[in-house]
Amino acid sequence: MHPDILWAALAFYGLGIALAMPSMAHGRPALNSSALAALGLGLALNSAALVWDALYLHRLPLTNVEAALSFLAFCVAAAFFLIYLRYRITWLGILVLPFAFVLTLAAAITAGPVGGPGALRGLWLTIHVLAMLLGYTGLFLTFVAAVMYLAQSGELKSKRPRALYFSLPPLEVCDRLYDQSLIFGLICLTTGILTGFLWASRDWSGFWEADPKILASVFTWIVYLILGSTRIRGHWGGRRSAYIAIFGFAAMMITFLGVSFLSSQHGYFPTISRTR
Amino acid sequence: MNLILAGINHRTAPVEVREKMNIRESRLATALSDLMRREGILEGIILSTCNRVEVIANAPGLKDPEPAVRGFLADYHRCNLTAYEQHLYWLRQDAVVEHLFRVASSLDSMVVGEPQILGQVKQAFTIAQQAGALRSELREVVNQALVAGRRVRRETAVGTAAISIPYAAVELAKKIFGSLDGKTVFVVGAGKMSELAARHLTSSGAKSIFVSNRTYERALELAALFHGEAVRFDAIFDHLALADIVITSTGAPHFLIHKADVERSLPARKNRPIFFVDIAVPRDVDPAVNELENAFVYDIDDLEQVVDANKKQRAKEAARAEDIVRQEARKTMRRLASRELAPTIVAIEERLNMIREREMARFRGRFGSLTPEQREAVEDLTQAIQNKVLHGPISELKSGAGNPEHRTLVQLIRRVFGVPEPRD
Repeated sequence: MHPDILWAALAFYGLGIALAMPSMAHGRPALNSSALAALGLGLALNSAALVWDALYLHRLPLTNVEAALSFLAFCVAAAFFLIYLRYRITWLGILVLPFAFVLTLAAAITAGPVGGPGALRGLWLTIHVLAMLLGYTGLFLTFVAAVMYLAQSGELKSKRPRALYFSLPPLEVCDRLYDQSLIFGLICLTTGILTGFLWASRDWSGFWEADPKILASVFTWIVYLILGSTRIRGHWGGRRSAYIAIFGFAAMMITFLGVSFLSSQHGYFPTISRTR
Repeated sequence: MNLILAGINHRTAPVEVREKMNIRESRLATALSDLMRREGILEGIILSTCNRVEVIANAPGLKDPEPAVRGFLADYHRCNLTAYEQHLYWLRQDAVVEHLFRVASSLDSMVVGEPQILGQVKQAFTIAQQAGALRSELREVVNQALVAGRRVRRETAVGTAAISIPYAAVELAKKIFGSLDGKTVFVVGAGKMSELAARHLTSSGAKSIFVSNRTYERALELAALFHGEAVRFDAIFDHLALADIVITSTGAPHFLIHKADVERSLPARKNRPIFFVDIAVPRDVDPAVNELENAFVYDIDDLEQVVDANKKQRAKEAARAEDIVRQEARKTMRRLASRELAPTIVAIEERLNMIREREMARFRGRFGSLTPEQREAVEDLTQAIQNKVLHGPISELKSGAGNPEHRTLVQLIRRVFGVPEPRD
């Protein structure tokens, strides 16, 4: 990773968030152009850092945890722009942008020499990591949509509109964002888990299925699978599926960060050697 | 540039006066050409809506354009203006710019943030443009006012919250359903209010309408009006599963729709939300329905509360809109002022250059024969002196552009350099 470019990206993300805050908090119809410019520059620098590494390594730079964090930050920020262009939800930025900021910050702090430990090589593995990160992005957006849904339906039920009522998107838009991101996230997560299994069964020996991260991932995957199927059949509406999406995301975060420290195979850390 | 504005609006004049001074859209072009025929008036635009009539003119050649505009108004309306004096306001120069920007941004409207005014200003602009009444500065001013108006709509929420009960209902429906396109409205109790609410909903995109009423004939009548379907009063509950928005306004003395009724319809709805607008007093819908997932019930007091909150929200955003308008107006005034400076700077430069060349010619004889290099050196020397002398006054001119006292400064500098006042 190239730490200087990441720090610059971080600075522009921060500046963009500060500039966009009034528009986001007051639910104005659009973000001001200076905020969009700063955020766009942040995103451009973030991708520049990734391209820099990709050129250096001649493959996708997903070799270690800081690279994964930086890529995830890129996905989250890019998703913000896409959703902003599609739905014009300014308030979305309040949850999404700080997440991108924190991810970039974590990536910048941990950034080491390019190439890193180089633990993760091979096509299947690249697809596995890529799909998992895209899946995380999708399901993070489901989480955001769920939070917005709960808040807005709370406002509507209370009949006493406060600031949130004005700035949050309509329930139906939260619903649509929820469904679209859930489907996208679920497809990516499924791809990620399948390729992971494929690769592990080929490259790992021993009882790797008992790896805590794998177990946790499968558990999260099942939660989302159930959620997806009930959504499609229209069984659970609104609040219940919103709570489950929030729970699912929490489980996923624990899987991504917490279990990484417990898992020997998934540690990303060079000190833990892979068994062959 | 010499701008003047004469106007009346909803604050200064009652409707009897406003309708007297109103100029119909079909007659705007004729009125404009009347205005333009007045001596010294270079540009003009007329904004005439039900809440305001404003005539703006640019008459750079006139010391005071007021008599010309006064004459136009009196002749056009064939009346003596003294009767309307107390209602008229007159604005000049920068005040005109700022006022027009506020008008276009809907900050001067009776209902602050109402969306029509921007379109009306744009329409007035188009008409004036077609009539050839906008040629330079005033066109720039109106154009920038439209830019400011659009920016206010985009960057503030001043126009987003509904401030009447029927619109508040529409807005709530939009907060639930997003777009109302293709949504089904169910009117229970065919009264005036429910008809009005249904009309607002259909004009916002709602498609099919069911109407139910205790007297079936009245339901048929209203249904025909909306190309909808009449529903017998005892079949209301069968239709709950099909409706997205239910407007109730019957004269029933007790609740008509209970929690259990709605609960029964929920499985068939597959969790699609349902929105009850209960404008009946006494109420028709049991407030306990609101406790059901995906069911939202608003009675008349709830709607009133929403309207109150919306008004506060608008006022808050209006303060920010004022900032944007002030910013944009100042930007435009500065640009116009610096454009206005160009002839002055050119005139001063020309004047000094003329002096320099005359003196050069006069001294050529005394120098005797100069080599080309020497001649060039003298040219450079005199040019350098001229530039140094001009540097101070010109940067002084440019830096003050847009300030109110700047006009005096320009006149003073012109006089110092012996450059006559321009005739536009």
